[in-house]
Formats: sequence, C-alpha cells, structure tokens
Amino acid sequence: MSTKEKLTFDVIVVGAGLAGSAAAAIAARNGLSVAMIERGQTPGSKNYFGGALYTHSLLEIYPDLWDRKPPLERPVTESGFWFLSKDGMVRATVQGGKMQNDPIDAYVALRAKFDAWWAEQAKKEGVFIIPKTVVVDFIREDEKVVGVITDRPDGEIYAPVVIICEGVNNLLTQKLGLAKHDLKAHASALAVKQLISMPAETINARFGLPSNEHGLAASVMGDVSMGLPGLGFLYTGVDSVSVGVGVTLEALTKAGIKPYELLQRYLNHPMIAPMIAGGRLMEYGAHIIPEGGWTTMPKLYTDGALVAGDAASMVNALHWEGTNMAIMAGKAAGETAVEAHQKRDFSAKSLSAYRARLDKTFVMTDLHQYRNLSHFLKSRPDFMNTYPAFLNDALGMFFSGFGKPKKQLYKDILRSLTDRRPLVKAAGDMIAFGRTIMGF
Amino acid sequence: MFHALVSIKQVPDTTNIRIDPETNNLIRQGVPTILNPYDAHAVAAAVEWKRKLNGKVTIITMGPPAAITSLRECIEMGADRAILISDRAFAGADTWATSYVLTEVIQAVHKEDPLDLIFFGKQAIDGDTAQVGPGVAVRLDLPVVTYAVKIHEVNTAEKFVVIERKTESRNEVIKAKLPAVMTCEKEIADIPYASLPDLVYSLRYEPEVWTTEGPITFDPAQLGLKGSPTTVFRTGTPEKHKAGEVLKTAETGVDVAVKTAFDKILEVEGVASMLGVQR
Ligand SMILES: Cc1cc2nc3c(=O)[nH]c(=O)nc-3n(C[C@H](O)[C@H](O)[C@H](O)COP(=O)(O)OP(=O)(O)OC[C@H]3O[C@@H](n4cnc5c(N)ncnc54)[C@H](O)[C@@H]3O)c2cc1C
Repeated sequence: MSTKEKLTFDVIVVGAGLAGSAAAAIAARNGLSVAMIERGQTPGSKNYFGGALYTHSLLEIYPDLWDRKPPLERPVTESGFWFLSKDGMVRATVQGGKMQNDPIDAYVALRAKFDAWWAEQAKKEGVFIIPKTVVVDFIREDEKVVGVITDRPDGEIYAPVVIICEGVNNLLTQKLGLAKHDLKAHASALAVKQLISMPAETINARFGLPSNEHGLAASVMGDVSMGLPGLGFLYTGVDSVSVGVGVTLEALTKAGIKPYELLQRYLNHPMIAPMIAGGRLMEYGAHIIPEGGWTTMPKLYTDGALVAGDAASMVNALHWEGTNMAIMAGKAAGETAVEAHQKRDFSAKSLSAYRARLDKTFVMTDLHQYRNLSHFLKSRPDFMNTYPAFLNDALGMFFSGFGKPKKQLYKDILRSLTDRRPLVKAAGDMIAFGRTIMGF
Repeated sequence: MFHALVSIKQVPDTTNIRIDPETNNLIRQGVPTILNPYDAHAVAAAVEWKRKLNGKVTIITMGPPAAITSLRECIEMGADRAILISDRAFAGADTWATSYVLTEVIQAVHKEDPLDLIFFGKQAIDGDTAQVGPGVAVRLDLPVVTYAVKIHEVNTAEKFVVIERKTESRNEVIKAKLPAVMTCEKEIADIPYASLPDLVYSLRYEPEVWTTEGPITFDPAQLGLKGSPTTVFRTGTPEKHKAGEVLKTAETGVDVAVKTAFDKILEVEGVASMLGVQR
C-alpha cells in the first residue's frame, strides 16, 4: 500500500491554528487542492490563548457563521480595564451600549474546542488535514520553495505555494531567511494562564452577569505584573474562568521572577482571590506572545512561500488582537495563492500581492501605528505601577474624604501623585503615551 | 499466508476524564476519544508479525460511526483491512452481547480468509472488564492466552504459536495451537511511526461498514440491551487511601518507630504467613 507516488497538492499550509485553517479554507473554496499539516494530535490540541475571538474576523471567512454553530463560550458584554494597587482595585469597564451590538463583537473561547471546529470547517471546504506530523524543512528547486519535508519516513510533500502559519515559534520562517533572528526577549511576552472551572451560576453571581449569555473580558494593569511591562487578563467562559498574566521575557529574566510566581501572586491578590475561590484548576499553561509587532515582523513572502499570523509577529498587545490578525492574514494569503495559481506564477514578485492586500487592512495600519508601544512600555515603567496605584489612591481618597475640607482633600490627592512622579514628568508620560498609540 | 485479526475499541481518554462529584457519572462531554491503548499495542504486534511472515491484518470494531478515526489509526500502523460493525441495534451491549457480535464477524472473516491469530488488548480502559477477548475465545472454542507480553514464534506451517504471558508472580511461556486468541499488554510491541504516504493513505481509507442488514445476519435476540444479561446498578469512585500515620523519630525514638512500622506491615493479610512470622 505504501505507494511511492509523489504526494502533490496545489497548496500546503503549515499549522492548523487560526491563520492556517483560514488560509486553507479560502484556497480550497476556490478549487485548489490543499494539504494542511499540523503537529498536534488534532488541530487545537497544542494551542493556547486568553482569550477572546473577534466576530468580524470569523464572519470574514464564514458569512454563515451562526448556522455552523461555533463552539464559543460567552459573548463579551462587559469589557475594560481593572487597575490593581497592592490591596485595591479600580474598575473601568463598559457594558450595555456598544457592548450590545448585533452581532456582539467579541466572544470568549477555549482554543482546544474552537480550533478543532475551525479546522473542521476548513475540512468541509475540501482541505485535507494531515495531523501528528511536524514540518521540519522545505524542498527547494533553484532557490524556490516547492514543498515541505516532514519528520516522517518518506516525508516529502510537494506544492508550488506553501503558506507558513506555524505560530510564534517561527523556526521555518527563520529557515527561509524571512525572519532574520530568533525571538527577541524584549519583544516577546511570556503569558501564563490558569483555566479554573466553576459552576455557571457562581460565575454569574461573582461577576454580576445576568445570564450565561453575558460575559466579561478584563485587561488588568498595575500590581498584576509587579511593575514589569505586562498585562493581566480575566475572561469568563460558560463554566470556567481564564486568568493569566503576560510579561516580556527580558523583564522576567532581569527581575529573576519565575512566571508561575507572578501568576500565583496575581491569583492571591486580595481583590482577585475571592473571585476564583473554590474553583478547580483545569489547565495550566504558558505561551509566548510576539509583542514586537511591526518591529519584529519578518518579510512576508518569498519564491513559493508566504507567512501569516503569529509567525509573522502580527499581534497588537495592548488590544489583545492576535487571532483576528491571524485570520485576516490567513485569508489574504489564501487569496494570493489562488491568484498565483490562476497566473501560474509563484515567484516572490507574484506573491508580493499578499503584502499589498494586507497593507489595505487594519492589520498593517495598526501594527505600524503601534510600532513603538513595546519600547514605550519598557521605558516608562510608571504605567505599570505608579499610575494604577495613584488611581486607586485618588478615587479612594475622594470616596472616603467625608467631613474633611475638600480643598485639603484635593491637595492630598494631588500630592499622592506628585510624591510619586513630578507633575511635569506625569504630563510628559501622558503626551508620550498619546503619541505612541497614535503612531507619531 | 499469515492472517491476523485485531478487535479494537474506541474509548474516552480516561486521562482526561472528569467525574461529576454529585451524580458520580462520567462527564463525557468534551472528552476526546482515543484508540484503547492496549489495543494499539495489539495492532502493532499483529503488524510486526504480518511483516515478518508476509501476511495480512484485518481490524474489526463494534462501535459508533466516530470509531472510524480509530480504525484509520490502525490502517496508519500498517493494517490492511478495517471493518466497522455499527448499528443502533448493537447499542447498550454488555461484554456477553459484544462477544456474540464479534464472534459472528470473526467467523465470517475466517470463512473468507482463514485466520491464524486473533488479538485483543488486555482490557478497555473505560470498562476494565477484560472479558471480551476470553468471551470470544470461548464462543469460538479456541485456545486463549491472556496478558501476553511477547510473541516468541508463529509457525503457520505447523500451526502453533509460542507466547509469553505475565502473571502476578512470574512470566509463563505457552505454546498454543493455531488459530488462537490472545489479549495483549503494552509490552507486546512498540507503536510504529508511520511514513507520510502510509499516514496519507490511512486518512483517505474508508472502512467497510457492517450492520444488521448485512453482509452477515445476526440473531436479534442476542443483540444490544436485549442480549445483555448484566446490568450495572451503580458506579462510583473508590474511597481514597487514608493518609498513613506519621511518627517523628525525634519524639518516639528509632526503635519504637521501626517496630510500629513493622507491626503495621504484619497486619496486612498474608504477609505474616508469607514471612513465617508468628503474631
Ligand atoms: C495568553 C495569551 C492570551 C491571548 N489572548 C488573546 C485574545 O484574547 N485575543 C486575541 O485575538 N489574541 C490573543 N492572543 C494571541 C493569539 O492567541 C495568537 O495571535 C493567535 O493564536 C495566532 O494564531 P496563529 O494561527 O498565527 O498561530 P497558532 O494559533 O499558534 O497556530 C500555530 C499552529 O501551527 C502548528 N505548528 C507549529 N509549527 C509547526 C510545524 N513545524 N509543523 C506542523 N505544525 C506546526 C501548531 O501546533 C499550531 O497549531 C493571546 C495569546 C496568548 C499567549
């Protein structure tokens, strides 16, 4: 049965994550034969995130999304920032209003379930999924990529276009020379997370959610990262809560802090601990986020190959946008592969249409706009400790200053800022922050 | 030509299983299913010997359509033919009714292409009964070797097999007449890593599906719940072992601690007589 015929497809997709299954689906829908190779036992079995998926990107691939019954947890009906001080918290979250858009813009999801379904949809488009197989290298003819080599005996498989969706650990992208170096410690956050199971009613009660059709997504700043450049998060699933924190590898190493200590400290915080008390730990995991974005982005195409998603550093760390960029890039890569087949031209020049497509989307404009963010956060640690603590103090004083002369109260509030950071510096921080996120 | 048959089962991955603390039921929702690990090693052994003897391996399973995934995994390992025995009428079968159906199928396969060895895993990790293999052997009136750890020899010319089996105290090497039935431990063979063409072939392979409509006929009275004499009244998690007594030698002294520990060991049934100690 071990026939020695050459395995050949029109397109090979490496990695059945969000980018991969999107790219594969688009190519197959347009009549190409597509092999999607995934190292995990099943698609999703190796994947991990916070997190929330964004409806616009799912609809972009499947306009009939809701008929397909995606395995999503709760819609995000409340979203915002929690600012932690040592022993307190200020919550700035929004609910109602735009959080009730139809359809709701974000959904909490669990990757193991979702990715399996996401790949299943691609299979329905005709994609041939090859699981339990690791792509280790490329087959090249005259410097052109014409296929991949897997870790299995007789493991060669051919296609004129390879779409690399290998995720953050982008060894193949490096092998092609598209990424010039390994992950950079200052531009990579190590995120650790626990999935804690609790009855849905307990979650509804503790987080003030009226029903299972309501969910919370919180970005947590301040005491969560021990002053290091990083963010915490908390997402409510139907009967589970995801809590985690991500900090740049560089900062972790410098501070000599172990990631699980950071997470444990966050989970023991007096404001957080009661929220998850009595829950059962279901999963513990760690994953890298390529926060460098624009600054660490590899070249996106070469003769016979394209790169999409985390492998190409497509993450906006401040907004937790990674999945939607991966999906949009996967779509653009899939379309480009289709077009290349129509033209029968798989050269870098032909495949550069991928970059042109992406340039027109929020993926490239946002990544460019936020290009200085990771450097900014690293160089202005006050955003991680001083301001969240001040915010807690200021509101705390305001709402406990009864029976006191208010003039003195305001002076005290101001002093609690200036004791920490001179006014001029604080003003400078705010302006710099504004410039950074506006991309000046 | 050597012809082996392996009977397999797709099971919930019990390493992932949770038990509802209130109802004591298995929470099967969201639990991935896998090829029963002992069965996987049985398939590996069958394939190893088919390669040595230039033979053929047939896989059968009774289960829901989703069990096709596990059949494909067997093809990936190098099996040649796979049969899914699937029909609503089989649902709810206990080990008695299951062994009836498997026996009928095995006999039909045997008629087409005579069998030498019939493999089972030693037990399925979801039920742990270890009854189906021996049950089939009895119905077929064939010799059965349970807890097999090694196949020393398969002689198709002289029609015998030499199998090593594990018991609690020692290993036994047994010679049995072919055809024979065996149930396998994991040591029987290592799972092979398939080549890419073999994997691709298996992913495209469509198993045969046998139902009550054909190609063979079953006695309806012996199928499913109706054909199952056993009922499970209750399942539960066994009580956890109690934590042992802790003696601090600083407080009790070494002699007392050792003596207490030794007495505890002697209290275990059978230990005193085994050591020849009077209590
Ligand atoms: C803790 C955390 C929280 C996050 N929260 C959010 C959030 O709330 N919202 C959001 O939008 N984003 C979030 N992100 C980012 C988001 O998860 C990623 O941007 C997204 O998963 C990228 O998708 P991808 O398809 O590029 O890569 P992945 O999803 O990582 O998929 C890569 C796939 O390729 C496979 N693979 C890799 N190498 C090989 C190989 N050599 N051969 C075969 N297969 C291979 C892998 O097994 C994997 O299946 C979060 C990330 C983390 C770590």
